[in-house]
Amino acid sequence: MTPITVLFPVEDYLAGMESAIQQSCLNCALRPDRLFCDLPTSALTAFNDVKSNLVCPRNTVLFREGQPARGVFVLCEGRAKISVCSESGKRLTLRVAVPGEVLGLSAALSGTAHEVTAELLDNARVGLVKRKDLLSFLREHREACLHVVTLLSQDLHIAYDRVRSVGLGRNRRVRNARAS
Amino acid sequence: MLSPYGLDIIESCLTCKMRAERLFCDLPTSALQSFESIKYATAYPKGAVLFVEGQAPRGIFVLCKGRVKLSICATDGKTLILKIAEPGEVLGLSATVSGKPYELTSETIDPCQVNFVKREDFLRFLREHSDACFKVAEQLSEKYNNACHEVRSLGLSHSAGEKLAKLLLEWSSKNGEANKQEPRLKLALTHEEIAQMIGTSRETVTRLFADLKKRQIVQAKGSTLVIRNKVALKAMATNN
Repeated sequence: MTPITVLFPVEDYLAGMESAIQQSCLNCALRPDRLFCDLPTSALTAFNDVKSNLVCPRNTVLFREGQPARGVFVLCEGRAKISVCSESGKRLTLRVAVPGEVLGLSAALSGTAHEVTAELLDNARVGLVKRKDLLSFLREHREACLHVVTLLSQDLHIAYDRVRSVGLGRNRRVRNARAS
Repeated sequence: MLSPYGLDIIESCLTCKMRAERLFCDLPTSALQSFESIKYATAYPKGAVLFVEGQAPRGIFVLCKGRVKLSICATDGKTLILKIAEPGEVLGLSATVSGKPYELTSETIDPCQVNFVKREDFLRFLREHSDACFKVAEQLSEKYNNACHEVRSLGLSHSAGEKLAKLLLEWSSKNGEANKQEPRLKLALTHEEIAQMIGTSRETVTRLFADLKKRQIVQAKGSTLVIRNKVALKAMATNN
């Protein structure tokens, strides 16, 4: 089955979620608890100007591996499954991303295709920032760039943990059983 | 200046001729001057361990010359080589930034020149120089992409043969050999090390190479390996 990127939710769904959308990052009460979002006001205002708010239903594929990176997705509400896929369609979940995480960061920064697939596990609110806007935003706002470096370091630690558990932790029979 | 290991040490980043080609090093002059004041240029012999997995992060190591083996280890001592780092790479980056223990062990496989920067100095340097911060983000992105690639290869490949075929194709795509009918690659690693890269045993790697040679998919000429049948190797890599 080929996953299809769906960025615009159906009308019925929108009606239910519209009221919940926090249009501005400046008014978000959860900001101080989130690594990327806890930015100084000037950076936050600039970020708010470049991001678009999306409301996406469960099972939406935000991006899939192999697709060129068009931008990043800030997960405001809901969770996303981050997975990799083999040519035969077999999947391996790397982790479950939680609110506050920025998805698609490494591909957007390196200008390469996405290495992973991100699929929403819940109905979610997502902030989309185009690659070009993200790069100029990071160049102009040092604090945001530092936050991104920290986020990437954390992602990398998790990825190395997965390499360890997949490559060294179990035998092939167990690994195959775990791969869906 | 010649070091004990026969290395031609690059004393200053400001006069380094290779700077422009290297992702992290190609910094504006102000950032470079600042980096120059916090780095320690060191020469290591082959087989030196720069840092060990689980150790508290002391700082970053910019690889100027030579190659470094990056590996992870299981509790039973089984080793998996993640990557052979090339000059221009920054090692120990994610641990230094996050403050978590080093995730990998890094060991020189050639005599190396390494520029070491202490953690506190490096974090201050990043706060003061946004260009450098951006380059670090790019390096981390590349490392993350590689780690995902590694998970896919280890976790979703069916057999050791498939993983070895993938590895050979990846190596053959470097050094301008990608579009050649019969690409050549220099085998700089032992069968034991190749086994550690694909998570299998040395015996399996030796058997697989013998099989590839018998089927005339590859041909060995000293330490150079010629891929004679790229189509067959690709079919092996995609498990067809």
